[in-house]
Amino acid sequence: MNIIRVEGLKYKYPHTDKLALDDLTFDIKKGEFIGIVGKNTAGKSTLCYALTGLVPHFFKGAYGGQVYVDDLEILKSDISDISLKAGLVFENPFSQMTGSKYTVAEEIAFGLENMGVDREEMITRINESLLLLDIEHIKDKNPFSLSGGQMQRLAIASVIAMRPDVLILDEPTSQLDPQGTEEVFKVVEKLTKEGITIIMAEHKIEKIAQYSDRVMLLHNGRLIDFDTPQKVFSREDILDFGVSPPIFTKICRVLNIRDANTDLYPVTLEQVPKKELTLSKETISKRR
Amino acid sequence: MQSMTLYVEKNSLIHKIDPISKLLFVVISIAISYIVPTISVVLGSVVISILLLIIGKVFRHILPIIGVSLILILSIIIVQGLFHPESKTPLFTLGGIVFYKEGISYALLLTLRVINMLCAFGVLILTTKPDELIETLIKKGMSPKLGYIFLSVLQIVPQMRATMGKITDAQRSRGMETQGNVWIRMKALFPLIGPVVLNSLNDTRERAIALEIRGFNAKGVKTFYNPSRNYPYRIAIKFGLILVLILAIVWRVWK
Repeated sequence: MNIIRVEGLKYKYPHTDKLALDDLTFDIKKGEFIGIVGKNTAGKSTLCYALTGLVPHFFKGAYGGQVYVDDLEILKSDISDISLKAGLVFENPFSQMTGSKYTVAEEIAFGLENMGVDREEMITRINESLLLLDIEHIKDKNPFSLSGGQMQRLAIASVIAMRPDVLILDEPTSQLDPQGTEEVFKVVEKLTKEGITIIMAEHKIEKIAQYSDRVMLLHNGRLIDFDTPQKVFSREDILDFGVSPPIFTKICRVLNIRDANTDLYPVTLEQVPKKELTLSKETISKRR
Repeated sequence: MQSMTLYVEKNSLIHKIDPISKLLFVVISIAISYIVPTISVVLGSVVISILLLIIGKVFRHILPIIGVSLILILSIIIVQGLFHPESKTPLFTLGGIVFYKEGISYALLLTLRVINMLCAFGVLILTTKPDELIETLIKKGMSPKLGYIFLSVLQIVPQMRATMGKITDAQRSRGMETQGNVWIRMKALFPLIGPVVLNSLNDTRERAIALEIRGFNAKGVKTFYNPSRNYPYRIAIKFGLILVLILAIVWRVWK
């Protein structure tokens, strides 16, 4: 079942000449983990905004085509209605804090208060989100006193509490240290197991290769490819789009190690055939 | 975590009083100092505020606030003591300059009004959590957007100050002089203010997006996470305060 349907989406920011999104058409199935890759200005963030209604409702400009999240047409819906279907988390954890709440629990409650959710229901959802994001222990702390990783998990918890069908993450780990990055990816993995559709724009290619069901490759606002990580990262021309394939893919390409079933290069260590791994170990010991 | 709030966490009777009653106290306390413009009444109002601050265990926290206003008080005494239009009776001479009784008397009234205002506001802001006050006002019909502005400023401005500190350190590490005389500090201001403003604008845009997607502009009735509290003596305090105000107005009209 498709949760997102995009047909001929075109978008241009105000006072610009170039299309930020150029004739995109694709579907996303419920429960999928989609990775969006591409160099800066490829249109990753703009696509995230378009899927949450910020384009065209918040960012004005020229808009064409249709975007549906579940049965909701983005163009004809309010951002507040869309936010119940698709939530967005972006890169800077600090600027996602409302600044008007004094505890983590109150921060999560902010969206629910605005949507008029009953207090009892609100408490249930807050506790669920805290548990899911593994931040129960900081429930009463001030949001601004948290570490970057904790703050980003709080931002995700605040969106998850609104129970959207789709969670969109726009480079959520770009301002985090390795520990914070790991915390966020572990949480996202947990969310996929809960059946939430995840769409993540990210430069950390290894992570995208590891977690994604499908990878969307964007370049200058155009959809270049939308397929399994193996197919996308095995493209001979991938570097032309400013995307460096995962390190395993690069090594396997040099050593010409391919998946026997698909004839594609592996993108994770798990996909490298065991016999090749043994061979590599032997090679390493020989070199020593 | 730094915050601009002056609230002092204490377990006192004043802390447990309804924020709206405390706000009403501020308004009536200030109003009375103008409706009944006599030194004894304004002094009485100041004494009441000080008593409330002592009961609230926050009296010493009002002293630095009054200290800041000393320059204003001093200027009131000098200007009124020397130049009050109804001055006739010399009170004392200081280095050949004559201070008049009428001017000093009026300056005393103005000074007491300033102290009264500060102490009354002190009762409110030193014993009431800002979020509790704003949430109560929103429940009474204040715009949630206005409430958000008041509350967010209290936390975001200290965050901006922290960002300014980081940018100052970064510029200093590149050899920029940021300490010294006024001229050096003025020269350092421009390279510092640019990144701070740009950074703040970017944060503001992103925060606006974050608020949008969390239903900040949603139509419909808002609910609240924090439960409504039962404040002691709420009605009695309000009734008493309004009665005092009515009595002051009656006195003014009758006189």
